[in-house]
Amino acid sequence: MAIELGLNEEQSMLKTMARDFLATETPKTFVREMMDDEVGHSPELWKKMAELGWQGLVFPEEYGGASMNFRDLTILCEEMGRAVMPGPFYSTVILVGLPILDFGSDEQKAEFLPKIANGEIVCTLAALEESGDLWADDLHFRALPRGDGYALSGTKMFVTDAKAADYMLVAARTRRTQNPEDGITLFMVNAKEWGIYMDNMTVMDLTRKQYAVRFTDVPVSASNIIGELHGGWPILQQIAFKASAVLSAEMVGVGEMAMEMTVAYLKDRMQFGVVIGTFQALKHKAADMYAAMEYSRSLMEWAAECVKENDRDAPMAVSMAKSYCGDSVKFVTDAGVQLHGGIGFTWDHDMHLYFKRGRYNDTAFGDGNYHKEVIARQLEANLM
Amino acid sequence: MVSSEPEKLEALREEVRAFLRENLPQKWGTPAYEPLEAGSEEQIALSKSFTKKLYDAGYTAFGIPAAYGGIERPPQEIAVIREELRRQGTPFPFVGLGRLVVDTLLQWGTEEQKKRFIPPILRGEVYWIEGFSEPNAGSDLAGVQTTAVRDGDEWIINGQKCWTSGWDYGEWGFFLCRTDVNAPRHRNLSFFLFDCSTPGFSRRPLRQMTGEAHAQYGELFFDDMRVPHENMIGEEGRGWYVAMTTLIAERGGGQVSAASGETGGMGLGLFGARTIGGVDSLIELAKKTKHYGQTAWDDSSFRGRIAQIAIENEAMRAYGMRLGKMIMSGSASGNEASMAKLTWTEQGKRRGDMVCEIIGAYSQLMRGDSRAVDGGDLVYGMLMTRGTTIFMGTSEICRNILAERILGLPRQ
Repeated sequence: MAIELGLNEEQSMLKTMARDFLATETPKTFVREMMDDEVGHSPELWKKMAELGWQGLVFPEEYGGASMNFRDLTILCEEMGRAVMPGPFYSTVILVGLPILDFGSDEQKAEFLPKIANGEIVCTLAALEESGDLWADDLHFRALPRGDGYALSGTKMFVTDAKAADYMLVAARTRRTQNPEDGITLFMVNAKEWGIYMDNMTVMDLTRKQYAVRFTDVPVSASNIIGELHGGWPILQQIAFKASAVLSAEMVGVGEMAMEMTVAYLKDRMQFGVVIGTFQALKHKAADMYAAMEYSRSLMEWAAECVKENDRDAPMAVSMAKSYCGDSVKFVTDAGVQLHGGIGFTWDHDMHLYFKRGRYNDTAFGDGNYHKEVIARQLEANLM
Repeated sequence: MVSSEPEKLEALREEVRAFLRENLPQKWGTPAYEPLEAGSEEQIALSKSFTKKLYDAGYTAFGIPAAYGGIERPPQEIAVIREELRRQGTPFPFVGLGRLVVDTLLQWGTEEQKKRFIPPILRGEVYWIEGFSEPNAGSDLAGVQTTAVRDGDEWIINGQKCWTSGWDYGEWGFFLCRTDVNAPRHRNLSFFLFDCSTPGFSRRPLRQMTGEAHAQYGELFFDDMRVPHENMIGEEGRGWYVAMTTLIAERGGGQVSAASGETGGMGLGLFGARTIGGVDSLIELAKKTKHYGQTAWDDSSFRGRIAQIAIENEAMRAYGMRLGKMIMSGSASGNEASMAKLTWTEQGKRRGDMVCEIIGAYSQLMRGDSRAVDGGDLVYGMLMTRGTTIFMGTSEICRNILAERILGLPRQ
């Protein structure tokens, strides 16, 4: 199957619709309101998105979804990045909805997917611990057998949108063997259970809230295990894989918007009696920003297509997109602040929202350096 | 869709594979293959014969009307052919700068000019050279000083061109010169094709910093050289705009490049050094080179930089796919090619520098020293990359083009 880049007619319509909707529903006044809000989730917006079919975009129709594909989903997420949209869409759909669709039992899919699709519930993933890395050896959080089920104890960190969540997909250690990747199990846990304590983390990117979540003997039924007992690690890897493609799409939206804002400013701002875009030092930086975003888009589209087609290049493509988009979004938003001068350093200007959202997306599931190491190993293996 | 179509495409795929097995040089695609020196006699001879074979087999000349020798095939067949050519790393099938002439003529040529010049180029019969840069007109190309004065049905040309690649093999060339000394800038130039055997034309080598005896670039001299008026491309005084089409094609953004899936300047060099190198050779080099007790490949800074080159190669490839689509659908301005040119040349420099860092003290040894790594080719390649960011529009000019013509920032 040949990989095709660019958008078809239906996808262009989806993109336009998303851009229009977000322009109306999530203007910067709304984004800033959510930044100041402790939970950062608007149930009204959530409901409206569900009416458009966004949460269930890639779910089959039998689960209340729209049966669209992964590439379509990345188009939506790109627009969300462009709008620096706050709220738990990423946490719910990408981090929990997709793994339930891919690994859940028929009963679990029937239980959770329609509720996600119709906007009834918010979910999130609780996987990381003290190291902040998705690394099997760092996963100590315990699930001990109790009665017919398990009891969860430990602290999860960097849990996005936990206060808005109705359910958390929790990665816990159910046994410890020589192989740290063995003995990890994923549980779907009611976030309102007794014994769950949430502590706000004071984060840089306020459009995506994060929490340290402490569990003390929280009971969970064995029927809420997603995938196999002790077999959660490959699922976590699959979550990281798809989330990386989605985060790359968001970064394309974030970076392109930061670039467009900057180019508009260069055409408007006067100094020394001329618009500053006349100066080559600034022009050349703008040209480099443009190139960085064009290549980011190219890699992201390639990666998203590979994921959609289940192409054998998909792991390499996703790591390349994640690394390059992360490096680019950091470069472009940094240049965005710099080229705006003093106004770009203020809280009131929107550039820092893009700068910070870019940083979140770059860090999550491995930054550029991490993915370059993954790529280097893969390249070496391909040589053998 | 007829049901036999997939089988037909598979049969075509087999046919292309068999063709390539038979016609690519021995050891092609293996580390044992030794690329021919760009601009050497052997390379040009091989390029010509291979171009002809590819054309006769119907594997090139897509996107060009059949009236001018173009080959028409259903898009699915073109996709299969491209895929197979690409899989074998088959070189871009044009000799010299002929493909630039094709793009230029398609847009600006008269019916007669197109019929006369395009078919021999597609068959690989003529080596074309370029006469744009002058000693006093580099980045400021519109400032060329070579003049043409009309005399009946002919023009009399006087002046000098420099940095002409393949200068000594050129059979035909194109150049830009002043036809009106009074007209305003950008409106005073015309574009001509000329036969290199015309009296009054001479050439000599330009020795470059790489130091080799056989110069890749040369200087062209026009001393009362007479060119027939019918060789003028586009209108008199509009040569600047004609040259823009040529430059876009040169940077990899032309229709010919798009139709053969080689957008972004990746396909230059036919059986010579490949413009964009894969990373396999870099990894092998890093794995066998030790410094201070560990191999370069064990050094995470090298691993990261090699991975970055692999990423950029894929980014350029994916961008090329998008650009090709944009060119074919008419939504590209052509200026996008400046980005591709900027990227692959700047990357080439970084790659060359990294290679030198990997080989350490041996990066001082040039061709001719028996101790040099890879016979000195690596260091030679690093020096060559210094030219790439200057020719075909310097990196700075490319950035100006992106900023002004794509992002719409004001000119100075």
